[in-house]
Amino acid sequence: MSASTVQEAIVERATGAGGRSELNESPIYVPPRARIFEFRSKPSPARAAVFAAVGLGAFFLVWQLGHYFSSDVNQKFFPSPVQVLTALYTLFAANNFLADVLKSCYRVFASFALAALVAVPAGLLMGSFKSVRALLGPLVSAWRYLPAASFIPLLLVWFGPNDTSKLALLFLGVIFFLIALVVDNTEAVPNEFIEAGLTMGASRSKTLMDIIIPAAAPAIMDSLRNMIAVSWTYLVIAEIVGAQDGIGAVMMRAGRFLKVDIIMAGILMIGILGVFTDVLFRTIARLSMPWAFKR
Amino acid sequence: MMVAEMNAMQMSKIAVPVIQASRVWKQFGNGAVTALKDVSIDLRENEFTAFVGPSGCGKTTMLRIIAGLEHPTRGRVSMNGATITGPSPERGMLFQAYTSFPWLTARRNVEYGMKLLGVPKAEREASAMEFLRLVRLEKVADKYPGGFSGGMKQRVALARTLAQNPSVLLMDEPFGALDAQVRWEMQELMIELMERERKTVVAVTHDIEEAIYLADRIVFFSCQPGRVKADIQVEFKRGRRFPKKEDLLAQPGYTELEQHLFAMMREEIQAAAAAA
Repeated sequence: MSASTVQEAIVERATGAGGRSELNESPIYVPPRARIFEFRSKPSPARAAVFAAVGLGAFFLVWQLGHYFSSDVNQKFFPSPVQVLTALYTLFAANNFLADVLKSCYRVFASFALAALVAVPAGLLMGSFKSVRALLGPLVSAWRYLPAASFIPLLLVWFGPNDTSKLALLFLGVIFFLIALVVDNTEAVPNEFIEAGLTMGASRSKTLMDIIIPAAAPAIMDSLRNMIAVSWTYLVIAEIVGAQDGIGAVMMRAGRFLKVDIIMAGILMIGILGVFTDVLFRTIARLSMPWAFKR
Repeated sequence: MMVAEMNAMQMSKIAVPVIQASRVWKQFGNGAVTALKDVSIDLRENEFTAFVGPSGCGKTTMLRIIAGLEHPTRGRVSMNGATITGPSPERGMLFQAYTSFPWLTARRNVEYGMKLLGVPKAEREASAMEFLRLVRLEKVADKYPGGFSGGMKQRVALARTLAQNPSVLLMDEPFGALDAQVRWEMQELMIELMERERKTVVAVTHDIEEAIYLADRIVFFSCQPGRVKADIQVEFKRGRRFPKKEDLLAQPGYTELEQHLFAMMREEIQAAAAAA
């Protein structure tokens, strides 16, 4: 019996005379019900949506209940979710809150753009060349341990209580962490990519531009996205000191009049803007580097 | 005169050394580790040489020195008489780690090497498709390698290197990360490519079977310090290449060579264990 005949015989036995009809006669396998607590298993989209709703709903329910069971005096200091949303609506409708929001956005984005403009090239060079790292590394690591908020008095003396001092504080708050992250991202580029470039005859500048930068770009984009979240957290600190406008200033004024609903509305607004920024960065990354997401 | 001489030499099948490594030493950590001790190797034109030996015996170091990615501590390595001082597209390199660039499509990957050499765009594009066809990736030419299997990623890198038409092809365990089936397919592909593209090839490998299948010559490295233990011409193949690997296994002489190499490998491993 030749090899091909053996194979044919095996195939015949497996499929039988009817082939497909035998498949239908085979007993239907009923898988066990998907358990909620299954190690590392992803819930179905429908289930995930229900869980998300339950999580969020529980949070608002506890909040609402906390408000409901507080004494009349304390209720003023612990407004309900509805009161906070109402306060947020009133801020926009009657108090031109949009101008403050835009001002805050401007401060975060402008300072962050400046920080990125310095940190990305610096980090790329430090991550690519050990000599640049030796030059700038100690300086950058030392700066990272200086709390940005401690510069407020200095910045106020230098620039006065204006936009410049706020932008400078936000800039200082992220720049050194951002440099450190970009250095890590650049150093994570596999050596073989660089060596492949060199053996193909790429010059050092070509290797940097054509290989290191695109290879590190998705990770750098992630670093930027994570650090702009930090920038949003510095915003309130920057706007506490002598600010007339911006979300932080509105919240500080509300604090003076014990308007807790407005303070909470401000916190909520920053949260919303944070999520929006995150989505914005993800979208930019997806559109500009489709290769890093397509699988 | 020079050219005529070269041709005459090729005609008479006396292979010309393309790469000459003479008395190469490589030490790391200020002499703490001697990776290569007085190694001299000539690589002849159009010959496929395999560097074989246990791990950490300087095979890869020697390959990287030939590539120009590392410098010898002492000695001289030259290509066609000129001392190698750095990497060059004349000596293409294929790495064990996948180096197809994930930010470029397969086609742009293959074009990239040619772009560096200044090949005009139209010629580059035509040539890239030709090489992708050769490694059977023409259907995914416009896809990014991120979603490719290991074998496909490696074929993109191979096509990119070959498209630069280097006279020497250096491979550092190129199929080491692939599973057995894909490694076998890649080996047969290499045989096909070697038939088509005449190149001087050096491949570092741990895989004795792979070395015998692909190579005309096997240089066996011994350990600590790394030196050449044996330099073996694969005589039984008589210069033939076997498109199907199983045809090689049936050749008289195959088993003897394999046994010989395994025995040497065992000797080296035991010596290393005794030294430790």
